Amino acid sequence: MEPALELTGVGKTFGEVRALDAVDLTVRAGEVHCVLGENGAGKSTLCNLVFGSAALDEGEMRLYGAPYRPRRPAEALRLGVAMVHQHFSLVPELTVGENLLLAERARLRPPDLTGRVKAIEEEYGLAVDLAAPVAGLPVGERQSVEIVKCLLRDPRLLLLDEPTAVLGPAEVRALLATCRRVAETGRAVVLVTHKLGEVERAGDAATVLRGGKVAGSGPLAGFSRDELVRLMVGRELADLDPLLAAGLDATEAPAPRTPRETAGEPVARLRGLRLRSDHGPDVLDGVDLELRAGEIVGVAGVEGNGQSELVAVLSGALSADEGVFELDGVDLTRAAPAVRTAAGLGVIPEDRHHEGCVTGMSVAENLFLGRLREFRRFGLLDRKAMRAGAARAVAEHGIRASGPDAPLHTLSGGNQQKVVVARELALDPLRLLIAAQPTRGLDIGAVDAVLTRVRDAAARGAAVLVVSSELAELLTLCDRVMVAYRGRLLGPVAPDAPGARDEIGKLMLGAAT
Amino acid sequence: MRRDLLVYGGAVLVAVLVGLALAAGGGAAPDVAGRALWDGMFGSPYAFGSALNTTAVLALIATGFTIAHRAGLVNVGGEGQMALGGIAATAVGVSLPAGTPAVLALTALLIAGFAGGALWAGVAAWLRVRRGVNEVITTLLLNFVGLCLVLLAVHEEALLRQPVTSADTLPQSEPLVEAARLPLLGPPESPATIAIVLAAVSVIVAALLLRHTATGTRLTAVGMSEPAAARLGLPVGRLQAGSLAVAGGLAGVAGATLIATVPYVLAEHFTSGYGFTGLVVGLLARGSLTAVAGISLAFGLLASGGINLQLAAGVPAASVQVVQSVLIICVAGAVIFRKGAAR
Repeated sequence: MEPALELTGVGKTFGEVRALDAVDLTVRAGEVHCVLGENGAGKSTLCNLVFGSAALDEGEMRLYGAPYRPRRPAEALRLGVAMVHQHFSLVPELTVGENLLLAERARLRPPDLTGRVKAIEEEYGLAVDLAAPVAGLPVGERQSVEIVKCLLRDPRLLLLDEPTAVLGPAEVRALLATCRRVAETGRAVVLVTHKLGEVERAGDAATVLRGGKVAGSGPLAGFSRDELVRLMVGRELADLDPLLAAGLDATEAPAPRTPRETAGEPVARLRGLRLRSDHGPDVLDGVDLELRAGEIVGVAGVEGNGQSELVAVLSGALSADEGVFELDGVDLTRAAPAVRTAAGLGVIPEDRHHEGCVTGMSVAENLFLGRLREFRRFGLLDRKAMRAGAARAVAEHGIRASGPDAPLHTLSGGNQQKVVVARELALDPLRLLIAAQPTRGLDIGAVDAVLTRVRDAAARGAAVLVVSSELAELLTLCDRVMVAYRGRLLGPVAPDAPGARDEIGKLMLGAAT
Repeated sequence: MRRDLLVYGGAVLVAVLVGLALAAGGGAAPDVAGRALWDGMFGSPYAFGSALNTTAVLALIATGFTIAHRAGLVNVGGEGQMALGGIAATAVGVSLPAGTPAVLALTALLIAGFAGGALWAGVAAWLRVRRGVNEVITTLLLNFVGLCLVLLAVHEEALLRQPVTSADTLPQSEPLVEAARLPLLGPPESPATIAIVLAAVSVIVAALLLRHTATGTRLTAVGMSEPAAARLGLPVGRLQAGSLAVAGGLAGVAGATLIATVPYVLAEHFTSGYGFTGLVVGLLARGSLTAVAGISLAFGLLASGGINLQLAAGVPAASVQVVQSVLIICVAGAVIFRKGAAR
């Protein structure tokens, strides 16, 4: 039988970056094919090519034997290729049924929809409530709606791009089961992920990408876990920092960080922080937390449970409606960002490009933007001193840049993040460091560098609050882990306690309350 | 860089061809039209002098535009800010006592012009920073209010209108006192005033400010990423409001120089659309103050050349505006085209 999807010698270049190079990929009907790779390995580019969001530069694609070269997603959909994107495309104000009809345009009438959805529910065990407004649904159910939306079109090939990034452990299991059932009906499923644990639970075959090239491919039964890790990162599993291995979901139980013998004095206090929302329940529903010097506290949770807003309130981007945030006894609840910085609050923001740095400006300018006053000479800016200071930071933090004057957008994501970290850690004194998704989108080397710096900050006596969706990362890094759930912080869970992972998983879904 | 030259060169070539076609349509042979245009630019001290005066006005407005633009704001209110600057300058210029020394009078006049324009832009700045109202809309609409205020001022005797002695009294202000008039640069028969010096100084100071001071770097940061600048503790609102006020202030100074040049009165429509032309100069210069200086000069020369084109060759002066518009479309189109291709 012909393969469902076949790529031969596919290449794609963006500017000077070779995103994909001579990639071969064969996906058979009836199998779940995992495309594995680190961030930046070319997984998303591959998805975009297959779904028609980007055109390939060289090579060819075949869909069930026929030459396949979609010029836009609509064409891919017509040919039976459906994709579940990492970020959902549902209209929150509408109901599930309305969203499904919207996707189907005029081809489906509301009475028929009920029947079709019923059939899908029976075939795949994927139940959705057509009358429910999307805004009120938890993320896992929204994703089910996305998948139903795809299945309504009766696709021959289903692509899922990092579908588990926003899900809790139980939801991940349900999703993988669904993938299996879809494959069993004779369709082809391509699951794009960087988590090895998922691959083993759901996949039949795998193709591993590294640096835009195929590092290995074949039936999953032919690979050991160690071999997959080696193919993905080009290093042996045993050589990896346990933290990094945990990030890949490659080891079941990462070694937890040894808890601090004596916790220091409390540095920061959060009391009853509340942030109202114009529509729906409060985004922050009374957050209480005490952070001690030298302690690393993690906040886990499914995205959208208030953790981003908590960081925004603490960093001064949003203003809390109620409650108090104190640092060293000083009330900073409504203080301007500059005052917070002066009080010793360092923030590594969640969205690097949005508020972490100014990508159009140079490394030196980004490092010293908040302290330009120190670089004034005769009323003018002392660029020489800035350059020298930046060169020191670049060397100290191992930032790979062509020089202190290099615009930040010429640096890789990991090196941009190192600039942000270098800037925030340079605060004197640094009393509280807030790191929001500090390793998101970074390659392994950069993850290691950033996390080492975060640990160092704690070792030097700062209190550290890490918000991350990488549970394994939190378990190895933190002294205690809180779980954000519907605007509140549940827990704490001690990372070294037996069953900590399951306990956190339960809290994430609100099952423990 | 080479591409930029190619774009500007190509745009000029297309514009020249369109201009020649228009001249031919107007019944003038290309060489006659060309000579008339040239004479209007460089042919006499008078022509070149008035070109310099226009250049100064455009450069002042475009410099302000560039400063605000660095902070991410688009000031389309040059016309209204000029109007208010002109009104304020007139109010000072007609009421100074006769014996005031020229240095003092001129300083007072220019400060009044700056303050008038800055206040007018300040309205938009306040709305933007405190209320989040888009400054493009507010500055644009304030233009019309500003122009109406000029009408009001020159029609009301209680305001700035000269005393009405007969039915023929024009609706305009009294002439400025002698000391408040801008001195001429010097060459005989040239109407060029020291406005061009003032504009040159503004361009140089602005270039220094934007490139070599902490304030300039902060403005750039705010313009490139407001959230990041706020996170780093920069006073985003103050920087934005300040840059827009300075933009308005410079437009106000431009208005003041118009009032303090022949015929030294505030009259209806004294702004003659310079505010919008200055905006176009700023847009075409794309953040470069060197380009602001160059394009202002080119536009100033074209304006005075166009007048002579009509006088000497009988080609409508409006054809120069058509040529300018073609220039703008070419340059702007090339920029958009290249951005689209890079995506």
